[in-house]
Amino acid sequence: MGEEGFMIETILQVIVNGLLLGGIYALIAIGLTLIFGVVRIINFAQGEFLMIGMFATFWIFSLLKIDPYIALFIFTPLLFLLGLATERLIIKPILNAPPIAQIFSTFGLSIVLQNGALMLWKSDYRSIETTYSNAMIKWIGLLINVPRLVAFLVAVFIVILLYLFLQRTYLGKAMKAVAQDREAAQLMGVDIHKIYMLAFALGIGLEGLAGALIMPIYSTYPTAGFTFALIAFVVVVLGGLGNMIGAFFGGLIIGLVESLSGFFISPELNTAIYFVIFVLVLIIRPSGLLGIVGGEEMGLK
Amino acid sequence: MIAGKGFSSRWMIFLIVAVILFVYPLVLRNPFYVHLFIMIFFYSFLALAWNVIGGFAGQLSLGHTVFYGIGAYTSTLLFIQLGISPWIGMIVGGVLALLTSVVIGYPCFRLRGPFFAMSTLALGEVFRILATFYRDLTQGSMGISIPVKFSWKNYIFEEKAVYYYIILIFMAAAIGVSYWIQSSRFGSNLVALREDEEAAASLGINIPRNKLLAMMISAFLTAIGGSFSAQYIMFIDPDAEFSLGLSLLMAILAIFGGIGTVWGPVIGAALLIPLQEFLRAWLGSSLHGLHLFIYGGLLIVVVTFLPHGILDWVKAWGRKAFPSIFPLPALKKPAEPRPDHFLSWSWLGKMGQGDRTLMDIKDLTKNFGGLAAIHDISLRVEKGEILGLIGPNGAGKTTLFNVISGFYRPDGGRIFYRGEDISHLHSPHLICHRGVGRTFQLVKPFQNVTVLENVMAGTFLRAKTLPAAQEDALEALEFVDLYHKRDTLAKSLTISDRKRMELARALATRPQILLLDEFMAGLNPKETEEAIALIRKIREHGITVLIIEHIMQAVMSLSDRIVILHHGEKIGEGTPREVAVDEKVIRAYLGEEYVIARSGEN
Repeated sequence: MGEEGFMIETILQVIVNGLLLGGIYALIAIGLTLIFGVVRIINFAQGEFLMIGMFATFWIFSLLKIDPYIALFIFTPLLFLLGLATERLIIKPILNAPPIAQIFSTFGLSIVLQNGALMLWKSDYRSIETTYSNAMIKWIGLLINVPRLVAFLVAVFIVILLYLFLQRTYLGKAMKAVAQDREAAQLMGVDIHKIYMLAFALGIGLEGLAGALIMPIYSTYPTAGFTFALIAFVVVVLGGLGNMIGAFFGGLIIGLVESLSGFFISPELNTAIYFVIFVLVLIIRPSGLLGIVGGEEMGLK
Repeated sequence: MIAGKGFSSRWMIFLIVAVILFVYPLVLRNPFYVHLFIMIFFYSFLALAWNVIGGFAGQLSLGHTVFYGIGAYTSTLLFIQLGISPWIGMIVGGVLALLTSVVIGYPCFRLRGPFFAMSTLALGEVFRILATFYRDLTQGSMGISIPVKFSWKNYIFEEKAVYYYIILIFMAAAIGVSYWIQSSRFGSNLVALREDEEAAASLGINIPRNKLLAMMISAFLTAIGGSFSAQYIMFIDPDAEFSLGLSLLMAILAIFGGIGTVWGPVIGAALLIPLQEFLRAWLGSSLHGLHLFIYGGLLIVVVTFLPHGILDWVKAWGRKAFPSIFPLPALKKPAEPRPDHFLSWSWLGKMGQGDRTLMDIKDLTKNFGGLAAIHDISLRVEKGEILGLIGPNGAGKTTLFNVISGFYRPDGGRIFYRGEDISHLHSPHLICHRGVGRTFQLVKPFQNVTVLENVMAGTFLRAKTLPAAQEDALEALEFVDLYHKRDTLAKSLTISDRKRMELARALATRPQILLLDEFMAGLNPKETEEAIALIRKIREHGITVLIIEHIMQAVMSLSDRIVILHHGEKIGEGTPREVAVDEKVIRAYLGEEYVIARSGEN
């Protein structure tokens, strides 16, 4: 094999890594976009729920030796319940409040959860070592990390499942109706507060799932969630706020951008690059790359 | 005289506090307590700086550390690399931050609410990463230590007390700037655009320019804070200078004390900063994060339940308990009513007498995605007339208003106003400046300020000073019979009063022509009567009125002439009497069958 072949192979590997990374970003962003789409609130504390999911997975693995892939069946429903409670206590009072309350209330929650975690568990990086953490599949000369592949496949699965839920079920249709026009949905007899609770709790539950799925790959620490949440914001804006499919492809794009810019420019500048993309998309094409509703009501032009 | 007494006792308190603050470090030489106050002043200063754009102008920036970091790095690098005094570096940093704020603000101001917050947050992170990445310049995450060489020129002092006085003066200056903003046309403009951008633009306020100016002041001050912090701590690194936490803290302090007020940020810092300093002193690093945990909890509670902050809540309580310290703002009625002064057109210069046409609209067209909302409309508005504009829903009446007043750019045709083509201006504030006032179909009051302040946002277009603007506004309120409600918050007005207030606000810009969009919609019969009388009174003062109205009785009795629009086209024009029997009009309103039935009768 010549040098050129080697180069092509390397770039292919970089692309595969980017796509797998993108799956993880998509997984984290889906909850955020679901909440935005239905409840019309940007949950700045979204990442902290991911962090809680990661820490929970870490502890249950360290103390009880329960595997993350089993833990996800415990923590997804638990975070769903936590989401229900959060919606009632924090989100419901600010549903019709001016932007300042909507922004800073969830930011306040983020600060509380981050620093609560800091006091409980210190700022150490904690990771778990499973037997499959570094397992690789070799496929036409490309190396594919198993836990990342699992996370990617679950992201695909979740997007399909949510899509079917929104298209096929009564509850899903009601949720879509609320997302499109809350007043009209209310007039049609939809209990919008139930829908808000459900959407918010689903969005939080998905972070529990994501937290368990990425624990074999990443370390957790109090601000781990926030770091991911910042990326999730980029993904969600790129895919169009409130757009599930958009979030998936937005995730893939950001994963690719990160992987390629890390390879060609410098890994240190990754975050700067996608934040610049983020601001540009917000300003030039606020409806996202797929151009779906959402921005107008939030006062976007 | 109660107000007068309150005023003097307030000054007494102010004086006593000033004296105490001045002698404090001389008497109490415990370094911790001096440091504590330095921190309070420092964070007050930053919160005051943030409050200019975040509070007065309502643009919730979460990226203010960009300016803070620019200030810190500029003064430090100039000092270490070139030996330039940090005093000069501080000013250079301020100017750099100011320029950066224009580059950031210009595109980001198109975004509103959470999206502006998110984009500024992202830019803050970008700057942090760049400061870490360009090691050659910044020494990256290693940070830069400032060599300890005590001297005034180096802005480095052995005595903490010197820093204390410096930051005390900075804070006093920031309070002064806030006072100036609050009591100036600029501040009135900011509040107006914060509450409703469209309404603000219709009052002649240049939205982008005012936002940018607020951002520039805010950025300059924040950078000065950054330089001060670098000189005080004598160490800078990207994580501290471009920290998201600090951006948030500036906002939290202002919100906690009272966002958009002069003293709110100071109160916020005075209440919250001791908590963090004491916890740090007592617990060391053992419960790192406790103070932020508490801040976060307080933030949720305050924005949810006390959105105007602690200060507002205390004032409301204090007004009951100590009326002399918390007086209601006292207003004196203008001594000698100058009834028509506020309507005078002195700003206009001499008016030409010859031409009777005030506005000449020619072949005006506006499309929305291929659909013509108005198509080839031509009409003349004569000086001093009341011209009624009628037509079924969707006829294009409001679109026509929006094109005339500059909210929409026309796709074809011209609008000549006093002989000048204003159709290319596409800028509501410029059109208002020329003397075209308007109200909105759905009233757009500035909700969270008083009726008087609402109207002052209009009078400030022509009035130079606060007292003049206030006097004109009071007269405008008397004109529409809302003088007695001047201190009421706009959001608690009835629909009829809101309409009157909006009318007073539009009149306050001293228009020569007034566009009224369904002024009578939602009024009861008695209120409608009053509204008709009011519009007649406006015309008697020489103001030309263009009115969209659905209440036929009202529009027939008011108008000198009526123009009928249907499906975006002008289908008729004439006196009320002529229009009432026009077949095309009847067809548009009542349908083909009615016309046929009627002709059958004849």
